[in-house]
Amino acid sequence: MLQNSSMSSLLLHRINGGGGATTATNCHDTVFMTVPDGVARYHTHAVAPNQCCSSVAQEIGASVATVWSVLRRFDNPQAYKHFVKSCHVIGGDGDVGTLREVHVISGLPAARSTERLEILDDERHVISFSVVGGDHRLANYRSVTTLHPTASSASGGCSGTVVVESYVVDVPPGNTREDTRVFVDTIVKCNLQSLAQTAENLTLRKNNNNDYKCCS
Amino acid sequence: MAGICCGVVGEGDTPAPLEPTTRPSRRRSLDILPLKYIADMAVPPSDGSRKRPKLDLRDRDNVVQNCDESTGHKVVKKEAKVEIHDNISETKNVTVADASEVEDSPKFGVTSVCGRRRDMEDSVSVRPSFTQGFHYFGVFDGHGCSHVATMCKERLHEIVNEEIDSARENLEWKLTMENGFARMDDEVNRRSQSNQTFTCRCELQTPHCDAVGSTAVVAIVTPDKLVVSNCGDSRAVLCRKGVAIPLSSDHKPDRPDELLRVQSKGGRVIYWDGPRVLGVLAMSRAIGDNYLKPYVISEPEVTVTERTEEDECLILASDGLWDVVSNETACGVVRMCLKAQKPPSPPGSPGSDVAADGSDRACSDASILLTKLALARHSSDNVSVVVVDLRRDQRQSSNSN
Repeated sequence: MLQNSSMSSLLLHRINGGGGATTATNCHDTVFMTVPDGVARYHTHAVAPNQCCSSVAQEIGASVATVWSVLRRFDNPQAYKHFVKSCHVIGGDGDVGTLREVHVISGLPAARSTERLEILDDERHVISFSVVGGDHRLANYRSVTTLHPTASSASGGCSGTVVVESYVVDVPPGNTREDTRVFVDTIVKCNLQSLAQTAENLTLRKNNNNDYKCCS
Repeated sequence: MAGICCGVVGEGDTPAPLEPTTRPSRRRSLDILPLKYIADMAVPPSDGSRKRPKLDLRDRDNVVQNCDESTGHKVVKKEAKVEIHDNISETKNVTVADASEVEDSPKFGVTSVCGRRRDMEDSVSVRPSFTQGFHYFGVFDGHGCSHVATMCKERLHEIVNEEIDSARENLEWKLTMENGFARMDDEVNRRSQSNQTFTCRCELQTPHCDAVGSTAVVAIVTPDKLVVSNCGDSRAVLCRKGVAIPLSSDHKPDRPDELLRVQSKGGRVIYWDGPRVLGVLAMSRAIGDNYLKPYVISEPEVTVTERTEEDECLILASDGLWDVVSNETACGVVRMCLKAQKPPSPPGSPGSDVAADGSDRACSDASILLTKLALARHSSDNVSVVVVDLRRDQRQSSNSN
């Protein structure tokens, strides 16, 4: 039974991969290339025929701990997500199952999004949420975001983090898989780039504070 | 068409008796607005009024009235009070500079209202005689937040003025305006990367504001030319002898040449609630929006039109108007107001006060009527309207008053 499900997922991945161009991003392959084995399984998504998946990676010049302190705040996505105007927790206690209502800035093809926290793993630095409602066209969206040290950081270099966000979502009526991937990738890339800026600014502030303390 | 115009005029007459009763609610609403802003609370829009047209109009009227207070920093308080009594409309995010050469300034009217949006992100800038006898009118429709539109309102005319000065006698309008818009865009993007603070909510949350932008449609009225520069999907329309002549072309992503330009730079136009660049932004040119460059550019399209004796008026407005009102209808409405122009009821000081800052009752009535028409047709956006009287005989008519 389990084996059948696993094979089914793998087969679906192959179908998606085959359907797209050879250069098309397959979240499975991309994830395995960049993510340590310990958390790669979190980026394995079951993809239905009417869905698409993708992943985006971003390097950040800040420690995993610093980035995680921003990323893990399910109640405060506007700290780094530019497209969020405001966010209100509407259920739950901050752990898995928490619901938030996100209001989106004007000019975008969305107004509100109701989202549920699916994974919050402080040890492995994994956070995941799914979209359960709202006013937008991204039905059955689920994303997983993981952090791990950069290769140079792991081998004793300066602190650096790689953040990987993978997602799966329904392809809306009238659009293609490629349309959907381009749209969502644009949003996710923008989010991860601003996460990088936010975390790096935090690091700068900490360093400045340390310098100040040293001077005094 | 005539029916629509007559209906609009009728609507214009109806709200007059309601004004006294709406003043208390106006004040209450104005008191509430800052609280909403501070709390940043979600306020659900009330669409229940659709079923009852009269209530609908009243609600729309309240919306208009709620914004009918002068907050321009450079407008003297006395003038503001007089203007309110004369029902001349000056609203938030509107700046009207004192006219140094009163007689040469064209008469104009301005309306800028929040409408059905939760936030007001439009700005309007009117600068009579901003340089060497030229007059400047600009409408800026922000998205994502209001600070880019606000910066355009406050700075673009200064930048354009500098460009005009540096061009001196070799004034090439297209190049001058392109340089001005490019400098405005640079300034917006530099500020979003600096530590300077904005008086809007996004700075409180996020120091980098790449996802904020604005349209910009700017008209410079000279003694013999109309220079219109447009970036985005606001619009300028000239009414000449009853005919609507567009002086700008909307930058929608599916406009064939814009589609090709975006694609040539490796971008895509995706239909996602309408055509959008990368499925995200519903216009192909804007000031700001750094995250969508090089697909979304800030280069304006510039038109230079010779003025003629047959020119009646110029209308600048955001897409909150143009999405629901055609160019022809808008020109018809304004024409009706200009024809129905009445002398100010008390002779003397009110007349001179009206003339002093260049705003005019007929033009104000026209901009108010257009705004009410847009709201009555369920525009779902902020609405900003500038009406400029281009008739050459206005001095004569003002002398006769």
